Amino acid sequence: MECQPAHYMRGLPQVIGMKRKYNHPEQPTTGKAYWKSVEDLAHTEHFQRYLEREFPENADEMTKDPLTRRTFLKLMGASLALAGVGLSACRRPEAHLVPYTKTPEWIVAGRYLPYATAHPRRNGAVPLLVSTYDGRPTKIEGNPIHPASKGKTDAYAQASVLDLYDPDRLRFFFKDGIESTQAEFFSALEKLRAEWAKDQGESLAIITEEYLSPTMERLRGDLTRLYPNLTWSTWEPLKPGFTEEALGEAFAVGKTEPRLRLVPDLSKAKVVVSLDHDFLNPSEGGLIGVREFSNRRRALHPGAEMNRLYAAEPRYTLTGAMADHRLRIPASQIGSFLTAIGRELALQGLTGTFATLIDTASKLSLPGQDIDKAVHELAADLKSAGSEGILLVGEHQPANVQALAIAINEALGAIGTTLVPKAALAVPSASLKEVADQAKAGKIKTVIVFGGNPVYNAPADLGFVDLFKKIPNKIHHTLLVNETSKVSNWVVPAAHYLESWGDALAEDGSYLSIQPMILPLYDGLTTVDLLCKLQNLPVPIGPEQVKKTFATWLTNPRNSVTTPEMIAESWEKHVHDGGQGTCQYSWEFQEPMFNPQSLSEFLIKHPIKHSVPSKDNIEIVKAHDYSMDDGRYNNNGWMQEFPDPITKMTWENAALISPTMAKDFDLWSGIKFGPIEGDAGIVTGDVIEITAHGVTITAPVLIVPGHADYSITLPLGYGRTMTGRVGEGSGFDVYPIRTTEAPYFETGATIKKLGHHYRFAVTQDHFSMEGRPLIKEAPKDYFERHPDFVSYTEEPAAFDHGFYNTPPMKAVHEWAMSIDLTTCVGCNACVIACQAENNIPIVGKDQVMRGREMLWIRIDRYFSSPNEKFVQDNQVLPHDPQMIMQPLPCMQCENAPCETVCPVNATVHNEEGLNVMVYNRCIGTRYCSNNCPYKVRHFNYFDFNQRPIANAKSESLFFGTSKLYEGPLAPKGSPETIMLQKNPNVTVRMRGVMEKCTYCVQRLEAAKIDQLDKAGPTPNVMIPTDSVQTACQQACPSDAIIFGNLNDPASKVVGLKKLPHNYSLLAYLNTRPRTTYLARIRNPNPKMPGAEYIGMAQLKELREAELHEHKESKEEKTVPGHAAESTIQPHGGQS
Amino acid sequence: MSTLASQDNEYIERGWRLLQRRPLVAPGRDYHWITDHVSSIVEMKTPLWWWISTLITGCIASFTPMLLLYLVCTGVGVWGLNRPVCWAWDITNFVFWIGIGHAGTLISAILFLTRQKWRTSVNRSAEAMTIFAVICAGLFPLFHVGRIWVAWYLFPIPNSNAIWQNFRSPLLWDVFAVSTYFTVSIIFWYVGLIPDLATIRDRAKDPKRKIIYGILALGWRGSNRQWRHYEKAYLILAGIATPLVLSVHSVVSFDFATSVIPGWHTTIFPPYFVAGAIFGGFGMVLTLLIPFREIYGLHDVITSRHIDNMCKIILLTGSLVGYAYIMEIFIAWYSGNQYEWWLFLRSRVSQPGLHLAETVAPYWWAWAAMFFCNVISHQVFWFKACRRNLYVVFAVVMCVNAGMWFERFVIIVTSLQRDFLPSSWGYFRPTWVDVFTFVGTLGLFTFLFLLFVRFLPMITMFEVKGVLPEADPHHHGDHSHGHDEHEGAQA
Repeated sequence: MECQPAHYMRGLPQVIGMKRKYNHPEQPTTGKAYWKSVEDLAHTEHFQRYLEREFPENADEMTKDPLTRRTFLKLMGASLALAGVGLSACRRPEAHLVPYTKTPEWIVAGRYLPYATAHPRRNGAVPLLVSTYDGRPTKIEGNPIHPASKGKTDAYAQASVLDLYDPDRLRFFFKDGIESTQAEFFSALEKLRAEWAKDQGESLAIITEEYLSPTMERLRGDLTRLYPNLTWSTWEPLKPGFTEEALGEAFAVGKTEPRLRLVPDLSKAKVVVSLDHDFLNPSEGGLIGVREFSNRRRALHPGAEMNRLYAAEPRYTLTGAMADHRLRIPASQIGSFLTAIGRELALQGLTGTFATLIDTASKLSLPGQDIDKAVHELAADLKSAGSEGILLVGEHQPANVQALAIAINEALGAIGTTLVPKAALAVPSASLKEVADQAKAGKIKTVIVFGGNPVYNAPADLGFVDLFKKIPNKIHHTLLVNETSKVSNWVVPAAHYLESWGDALAEDGSYLSIQPMILPLYDGLTTVDLLCKLQNLPVPIGPEQVKKTFATWLTNPRNSVTTPEMIAESWEKHVHDGGQGTCQYSWEFQEPMFNPQSLSEFLIKHPIKHSVPSKDNIEIVKAHDYSMDDGRYNNNGWMQEFPDPITKMTWENAALISPTMAKDFDLWSGIKFGPIEGDAGIVTGDVIEITAHGVTITAPVLIVPGHADYSITLPLGYGRTMTGRVGEGSGFDVYPIRTTEAPYFETGATIKKLGHHYRFAVTQDHFSMEGRPLIKEAPKDYFERHPDFVSYTEEPAAFDHGFYNTPPMKAVHEWAMSIDLTTCVGCNACVIACQAENNIPIVGKDQVMRGREMLWIRIDRYFSSPNEKFVQDNQVLPHDPQMIMQPLPCMQCENAPCETVCPVNATVHNEEGLNVMVYNRCIGTRYCSNNCPYKVRHFNYFDFNQRPIANAKSESLFFGTSKLYEGPLAPKGSPETIMLQKNPNVTVRMRGVMEKCTYCVQRLEAAKIDQLDKAGPTPNVMIPTDSVQTACQQACPSDAIIFGNLNDPASKVVGLKKLPHNYSLLAYLNTRPRTTYLARIRNPNPKMPGAEYIGMAQLKELREAELHEHKESKEEKTVPGHAAESTIQPHGGQS
Repeated sequence: MSTLASQDNEYIERGWRLLQRRPLVAPGRDYHWITDHVSSIVEMKTPLWWWISTLITGCIASFTPMLLLYLVCTGVGVWGLNRPVCWAWDITNFVFWIGIGHAGTLISAILFLTRQKWRTSVNRSAEAMTIFAVICAGLFPLFHVGRIWVAWYLFPIPNSNAIWQNFRSPLLWDVFAVSTYFTVSIIFWYVGLIPDLATIRDRAKDPKRKIIYGILALGWRGSNRQWRHYEKAYLILAGIATPLVLSVHSVVSFDFATSVIPGWHTTIFPPYFVAGAIFGGFGMVLTLLIPFREIYGLHDVITSRHIDNMCKIILLTGSLVGYAYIMEIFIAWYSGNQYEWWLFLRSRVSQPGLHLAETVAPYWWAWAAMFFCNVISHQVFWFKACRRNLYVVFAVVMCVNAGMWFERFVIIVTSLQRDFLPSSWGYFRPTWVDVFTFVGTLGLFTFLFLLFVRFLPMITMFEVKGVLPEADPHHHGDHSHGHDEHEGAQA
């Protein structure tokens, strides 16, 4: 093996991947084993009756059956019965789902066991380490030894554990809406296989999601060899394939298309120009990108080098929020903008193929923005960066725009440095259109859909709903019942990735392993199982097939591994480590040559279109949603209640428009205070009809400052007609207006105001800081001149003593946190990580509208616009503001206002500086929340943990509120599966109790106990430096949250707190928070128009401070004898 | 009213105005008349209007227990509370009722100590009002907690966890202050009732009645010795109650003043709350007495002079309150604390945008209602004619009642809804449960008061007798006054 990870994971038990098989005593082959008693249960009459019970012929019924404890046990029984007793032979020794009678040695109650696996994604799987308690995966962490994660995750990975326990998951096989069995399904497959054998698979079409799994690829190859004429299509609604097309043209060698991709290496990039590419959204750009970008940006001392980010985009994205210069440009103008950059680069003397390809006639039309100067300066900056520059274009932009960007990058010398060619992850397959065409022609008799939901999210012009009716056999393999299952003949329950053996490729192309954390809860089949079954292979036992792929890869000629012992050893390590480190799966990648010829031809053939959105030519942009992605997290409560990082909206989507457009069309959205309209957490928007290419959809409008004018962003993934109880009835569906032709944007749409309003649930409706020094920021040069600028905007506490002092904080550990606002991208991974770790309930849209969401850490988002005044409450909104984010957990004040006011001592301070919340003691006066200046305490107004989410959603007759208001009359009790997700080390809070961030005290205590154990009688009780992480810190992809022990001089947090731009929020209150912030530093290009306002949220104060300083230095000048010194600037002069 | 007015005219005619305070009891009303008249309220056949109004208020009163039951079994979420507004109507109502409960003990204790003899006609009903108001007030902090079943944690009951209460918390001070106030008020009230209960007992013809009132009268015989002890006890109780009048509302104000929230964190609160409570308390005393005075024909005991005096107190305390409002705003501006200035100006009054007062503040209506009711409405009491016109007085005191509720609402809700971080700003909207729980306490208060007037003498007979001219040992020697007074009354 040439790829050996440097070390084994520290702290992990040295156990081998197949945990259950290897770590439990082998079951005796004869004699009555414990699990057999469960098997016996499966044979009882009662159970058989249950299995055979017919469901009504209504697919809806599949999701409606609430999972009670009783049925859950039965289901567990069913999975045992079918696996152990059923037809598929003794596939798994199933007994381990029941509690241990003899606990294996290394299982300690209350201690988690981490296992490595990976979360499959379309852009590359995320390597994970999953915490399991007694065989229940409860919390997702990144795999610390893998470079594609380095222990970090994003919100989607964090939330995926909830999908596993979704009580709406498909639990049975269904044939035409009637409950069926696996055996029946397999015999049906048998018949179909005979047909395929006859016509060589001509009549078979398979639609999969992008799995990026080597085993799937291998099995697909096998299947294609078996049925050569089958149609295999990979469908990802948010992966339109334009990038591949552009790359194919740019690197074409003759007619063969090299399979490659260009991976940005942001660690080398000094100037990043992002054109409608939200690469800082970890689910789009990947965790590596976020990490590398942030590392290059961390301004920890005044002289630190920082990269510079230019972003041009239609709607505000996380990337735009992070950008030093953001230009709001409609999606259809991105091509023109790129052309303008190209033209400017050519004028400035950059040579290359691109120069010949620039359409000189194109004109950017962006009224109100000094765009020409901006383009000029941007191009100059990019050119001077040369190979340290990078120009990124969103993968949903047309291929010709991307091709031009490749040409420019090539001319800059970026390819090879900041853009690294690597092997493509995906194998090309037929497009969905080809499947549709064949189905139209009547060729396809059987369609098998692996995961995904093409009936819902396929381009509307393909008419998949009707096409499906034409196809006689439709098999849908799915985790949750959705629109596609509704029209399918066979619905096959899928295993969640946490229940499956598998493999995947990470975003960097490295080879990852997927192992199950738990046995399939509902007897789901994995995709690998089903693929095997399609080619009449037995359903694999455990990792059989995956291991085979691994062995094939391992015995590659370039490797020295040959003997079975070596393979076995490597396999164990592979599963244990969760993959092969940076080791690529594809060995044979050859770096391709840039082909200017082919690129030129392509661009000449497909010139970039220049459409200018205007009042009469409205652009619609069908974009991904931060919480739903393409709609796959629709039934995930955490993602539904996840506040959109930009709009702060929960549970829904909205048509996002700019203030100018709202004014022109007289559309209204906002908060109106008063006794009738308006409430905490409610924003009301006009409902409009949007018509494009003859299709009309209805959507409520939300005005977002910073949006491009005459462009409407329509986030995808909502408005599902067939989904679970959580996703039901949320948002509106954008897919009907999405076509093959224009999957991302199109112009020429019209809108019509319908005259009624819609109420959104937002977690933050006020987005102006109102001039308060809450998020302190400064541009880099100002920071260099005035490293202590944070002290200019707020007076320190008047005195530092009081009647009462907190406990003598002289413990061994003094916990503290530092949050770096410069690198926080606002991705919300911390929010979901905290929710998963701390058993935080969701509350439903109705309660969010009432301002009762429970998230312990929130990300405050403000718009700052120093060059234009705006009054938010009066709908005078900024057009082009900057955005700033601030994560806000409990500040753990040393002098906590909440503690003095609690009458029953339910919130007290401990010696380690934690503001401790004693749930058992809390009587719920809520005084602490009132007196918390940061409002980080959350009161459980109803028994949110005890109330099924459907209660919080459905309207009941009881005064028009949700069922939560029916109190004892409403259904109570959390679904059993949801309970399985709970972290056993964190109290599940009841109603009437105040709760808040604890700095993950359960983790701190566990670490301390470990250390005490190790220390024994020695005084060495301080935990190893920075060996404990809070959940938010652990998830943070940009390492913006740092937590540690103030008493440990080596701890990172100690150093960060000493930095000149470290500040406490609302320091003047003398709360002495343990959580402090590092002020946000931006790196604007001083020559750009409007640069003097960038990073100046406290513009007035900073200017005053500077003027004051100038004045002082002038005064000094007048003092005789000091004239010479005074000419020197006090802080090192202008940059 | 007409008789009073004509009597007044006579006084003016005779030119005695400058020499003579108007008597506290209408001339000609002797001991017997007072005993008869006041006792008859308790002794007469229950009037129909009493049955009807008691039934109605009893029904309204039942809202409160029903809704509190609903609250307890469902969750505090049935109220419109949220984050940041974790207290709203619950604590507003609490402070409102506690404020109402102020006038009673003030009249009984402070006016007693300061020898304000006019208090005698109104103190009994004011004290009853105090007790009923404190009952209504106590419900809210008790039931507003998230887990009422562990509300006993608030009391220093020794327990196995050895956890004490947090004596730094003003909420705990509240618990002690309110319970002490309630206890002392009840004792004070009851002690004050004893001689009159004995009078009712003595007049009772029904043996059952005799027994019940006899028990309640605690064996009062009216001996000289008893009177001596009684008056000393009453004086001591008044001494105990006096600081409580000032302390209880000061403590309630500490709930806010000791916090860090702009709009709450204000040193002016204790005196401002006490002034406001007296203001609101007298408002409620007048609200109750004006109708009952009419119904039971008590014009001769509760004379226009009483009303006039109370109006003057309302004017004084109301102006103090108005001063406090303005001073709060001034200090917010003068201190240069942007959070406080923002709160006072932009959350409560207006939100100057690009153009001044372009938009109104979210709660401008509450602030405007408060300011009008508490500062402007009672300015009419500068004019005697207005103090004499019962319609005007009644309208103003209704304003005062509403205004005092709004004052607490403004302090509590508008301060919470917009504090330090704009990200967590919110808005409060009451639910039907909020509204009807409060309406229920209004019903409960009235219901209890109706029971009181029916079963207990609503005027302190023995004390009123004490302020009659006849009670003055020099009465008969004082020819220039007493004699002519009689003549005047007879004429």
